[in-house]
Amino acid sequence: MSVPFAAKRLGKELNKISSSLPPGIELVSADNFEEWLLDIKVLDNNPLYQNQTYRLKFRFSPSYPIEPPEVVFIQLPDRPIPIHPHIYSNGIICLDLLGQQGWSPVQNVESVCMSLQSMLTGNSKNERPPGDEEFVRANTMRPKDIQFYYHDNDV
Amino acid sequence: MAKPNQLKEEGNRRFQAGDYVMAEALYSQALILDPNNPALYTNRAMARLKLNQWDSAVADCTACLRLAPDNVKAHYSLSQAHLALRAYDDALHHARAAHALCAKAADDKSLGTLTAHVLRCKKEAWDAAERRRARENADLEAEVLALLEREKEAAVREVSGTAAAGEEEGGAAAAAAAAADAEASREVAAEWDAKIERMRDVFEKARPVGEKRRTVPDWAIDDISFCVMVDPVITKSGKSYERASIVEHLRRHPHDPLTREPLYISELRPNLDLKQACEEFLQENGWAADW
Repeated sequence: MSVPFAAKRLGKELNKISSSLPPGIELVSADNFEEWLLDIKVLDNNPLYQNQTYRLKFRFSPSYPIEPPEVVFIQLPDRPIPIHPHIYSNGIICLDLLGQQGWSPVQNVESVCMSLQSMLTGNSKNERPPGDEEFVRANTMRPKDIQFYYHDNDV
Repeated sequence: MAKPNQLKEEGNRRFQAGDYVMAEALYSQALILDPNNPALYTNRAMARLKLNQWDSAVADCTACLRLAPDNVKAHYSLSQAHLALRAYDDALHHARAAHALCAKAADDKSLGTLTAHVLRCKKEAWDAAERRRARENADLEAEVLALLEREKEAAVREVSGTAAAGEEEGGAAAAAAAAADAEASREVAAEWDAKIERMRDVFEKARPVGEKRRTVPDWAIDDISFCVMVDPVITKSGKSYERASIVEHLRRHPHDPLTREPLYISELRPNLDLKQACEEFLQENGWAADW
């Protein structure tokens, strides 16, 4: 017997974020407790991200929030993949918070969105991670199974 | 003749297959041969729960607890049976007993289930009390309104009584008196209608009071499961979590969710004051058990 941990907690998160979210974060869809879509914007006038909106896809396992959600940027005609030395051009994000080691169950969808917002806000490098092309071509693993090497954590 | 163990095994197989009637019968046969085996009683109790035979499930659990007072399964099944029988106090008592035994035995596999069950007992007890209160209030409202209606009729009768007395005089004077009386009783009726309307208003205003304060304070909420805490434990960094949630996390990653410092299950301590506070909060706001 196991309690449907994820569904209960996600129901409560949904309740909260349906009524209020911080500026620059918008809920696009949350039709089930497996996959949610959110839009984020960078609020300051960082020229790299001005006037753009990015689409995030959250996927939850039944053991969320003990296990981290899988979070990637997805590309649509009006939703590019933000340029950042920790974001591959296929939308996969290299952020310790989202890895098995860096994740903590007190994090939530809202706090992850805010972390990504500030990760973009603080960036001034107009570049992709080293080896982006090769990684995008060759990678077949799920984001959470990739052992990222967290280089230059100061970015 | 079959041995009690074989009967039990066969009963378990039937139970797994969903044939609870047969499982119950097999456990009963085993019990005739081996009447002092606690596991047979809990197994039969579980089959009887499936068959909605609440009273006989209670009997089995009670028999088991006489033999083995610390049997978690017996407390849990007993709690479920009592809940179905709407004996909310007993249900909560045995839910708590099962949870405490489970926490003591560091059996974290069932801890989450039992934590949820304790909350469910509280929620159902609260719902039942709410329904009763709502029913009683509705009864009171109907009664008070009926009383006012009777008062109104009596008052109207009294006013029109004076008109009947003047009827003998006949002629235009009588007609004028009758008209004046009709006017007076209309006034009295209107006066009472206004009172009745005000009374309705008062009841209406009293109704949503319970709805107004429906927010749960952050201190009562476990930051992992987002539920009201039943058995809060505190970490070295001073933050409290529901035992079932933090244990589930620490089993996989032995570090503090906030500070990321190493943290082991053995280092958790119960937070008794917070437990008390959460309990009191739920007593006043039982709806929050399901928040």
